[in-house]
Amino acid sequence: MMTSRKDLLDIDSLSTEEIGHLLESAAPFKQLLRKSVKKVPTLRGKTVLTLFYEPSTRTRSSFEVAAKRLSADVIHFAVSQSSVMKGESVLDTVDTLQAMRADYIVVRHPAAGVPNQIARHTRASVINAGDGSHAHPTQALLDAFTLREVHDNLAGLKVLIVGDILHSRVARSTGRILWKLGAEVGVLGPGSLIPAGRPDFMTAFRNYDEVFEWSPDVVYLLRVQVERQREPFFPGGSEYHRLYGLTDERLARVRAKRIWVMHPGPVNRGVELADSVMSYERSLIDEQVENGIAMRMAVLYWLLPETVAGPREEEET
Amino acid sequence: MRGGRVAAEDDDRLREADVLVEGGVIRRTGPGIPLEDGVEEIDCSGKILLPGLFDLHVHLREPGREDKETIRTGSEAAINGGITGIVAMPNTSPAIDSGGMVQAILDIAFREARIPVLTSGCITRGRAGQELAGIGGMVEKGAIMITDDGDPVENPQTLRRAMEYARGFGIPVACHCETKALSGDGAMNEGRVSYGLGVPGMPACSEEICMERDIRIAQMTGAHAHIQHVSSAAGMEIVRRFKEEGVRVTCEVTPHHLLFCDEDLGDYDTHYKMNPPLRSREDCARLLEGLREGCFDVIATDHAPHTDFEKSLDLASAPFGITGLETALVSLYHYFIRTNAFGWGLLVKRYSAEPRRLVGRAPAEIAEGRPCELVVFDPAAETAFTREFMRSKSSNTPFLDRTLSGRVEMVVVGDAVLLDRREERP
Repeated sequence: MMTSRKDLLDIDSLSTEEIGHLLESAAPFKQLLRKSVKKVPTLRGKTVLTLFYEPSTRTRSSFEVAAKRLSADVIHFAVSQSSVMKGESVLDTVDTLQAMRADYIVVRHPAAGVPNQIARHTRASVINAGDGSHAHPTQALLDAFTLREVHDNLAGLKVLIVGDILHSRVARSTGRILWKLGAEVGVLGPGSLIPAGRPDFMTAFRNYDEVFEWSPDVVYLLRVQVERQREPFFPGGSEYHRLYGLTDERLARVRAKRIWVMHPGPVNRGVELADSVMSYERSLIDEQVENGIAMRMAVLYWLLPETVAGPREEEET
Repeated sequence: MRGGRVAAEDDDRLREADVLVEGGVIRRTGPGIPLEDGVEEIDCSGKILLPGLFDLHVHLREPGREDKETIRTGSEAAINGGITGIVAMPNTSPAIDSGGMVQAILDIAFREARIPVLTSGCITRGRAGQELAGIGGMVEKGAIMITDDGDPVENPQTLRRAMEYARGFGIPVACHCETKALSGDGAMNEGRVSYGLGVPGMPACSEEICMERDIRIAQMTGAHAHIQHVSSAAGMEIVRRFKEEGVRVTCEVTPHHLLFCDEDLGDYDTHYKMNPPLRSREDCARLLEGLREGCFDVIATDHAPHTDFEKSLDLASAPFGITGLETALVSLYHYFIRTNAFGWGLLVKRYSAEPRRLVGRAPAEIAEGRPCELVVFDPAAETAFTREFMRSKSSNTPFLDRTLSGRVEMVVVGDAVLLDRREERP
């Protein structure tokens, strides 16, 4: 059995062996989810705290279901950014939350690196559920797991990631895990969103013609923030769709080449993809959601918090 | 002071010499000075005597943020680091932008500080970048430099007028170079490391474009531009090029830009966040080369105290800046002098003599007939930078709780021993 870690903060720090182990161990949990009794007592008596500084019903629910299927207690703690800026730092909040004796803290925060800071500060296991533009490791793991269900070996697989490579934590984490597992990673998007500082393994393409020539096995579409652009990175949703979206026309070529399509959700119809993509037979988008629960169960099962009760801790209470 | 070795500007060889101080003045230097009755002998064997350092770039936070630093604690921190003269930056609250404010600062310094505390004044009123501050009034009261440090003067015409105006007073205009539209909400150098960390970046060209602009305006106006905290190799080359063309431009480099690079931010440690940011490893190496080649006129810390709370925020929210007065000499010794990257002659020139010349003061020198202003440095001892060690109110430095080689053992100015650590044993 692979040695456990305290925290899951990013993909960079995981070895290929650890990634392999996590992907293997998610499979039985997925089986479990399809049984009539979907619950195991593994984490009975443990507490999972979700600490979300950014709204995200999907990710939070996925963690909640995963934790409950393992019989853990779940506490939600939603913090608005406005209250944070009034003199209480994240670490102050974490100090306060220590009273709840959480064994696992699932963190989402708009600023990169906050889960790292919390992890250094607490004995609980910290799981990064997305921090700014930095990382989203459980998304990356579930994406790799999903692809392994359709391709036994990811070595040599060609995956194109389309969209906001500059700001996307999914591009960073999923790109990194696929590269670690031997896949080739291409990126496509408006030039203003394909930064020069990206890792060498991300090969940039200028347009779909170049992409189809490269002949990817998977097209992974990122969610595009049209309405929340703080600067003019690209002219707008319709031009984006015309140049970089998976249009009906491109879907025909994708179908002909039997290319898998993925998306971390929620989708923007008419921007990164045409409506018809949702019913495409090789869309893995629904599988990603289902696998997210199994993968997060595997992560909770694997991590080892430092909160095992000892004599000192009993004295404190 | 018996048996020490004396460091001097431009001379990397240390000279073995005794130093006799009487009435705050150096009476004799040379080997084997006979001991006279009534003279206290200080054993300096194994120690290095160097002229007191002078830091041209210090944030003292008074008035406005006395919880971070005061003129008293900042000047004590300087003494703790072997620095015997400092220049305060004017970005206090309210800003130092009038003759009255300059007078107030210098009055406090006269009462509270045991070393000369000089002050700069703002270029524009309230550092707002609009109207010129009362430059003439500030100079009359003793300001030795003007700067809007912390921010650039965004409007080039305003900067031009300020430089034309300042030229008449013979004071340098110190420039914080940054093109705000490019650096935006960045928190570190833009590049591979910032991409990997997912942290918004500030590209080096944000600094370089403004630097080029400011120096060209100095060229046009004939003013003396002093470029603060140069952080990139390309920026350094811009200054070098204009110097070769004969423009009146000087520049400074901080210890942290020589010692660290953006890779040190890998763990989101806010003690490596400052503006301009730590650039790439290659920039860092080239700045050191530039210092050795004489491209930088001065070393200055940009000592920027902040509270623990502010620095415990996430990397994007935490304020820019780290402290430096107490760690500068020891860290430069530990990483550069000890390893022969450069010698004591360079340190004395760039961190003691040149910065004093730049503000029109005579350099401190360990020579007969000169006022005594010296530091006894023990290269064989160590310094543990604990919170207890710090005399600054703030401890926001990457060196916190680290131990480096070298120790400031004594600081003597005139006939006053400002620091004496001979009895302390680690």
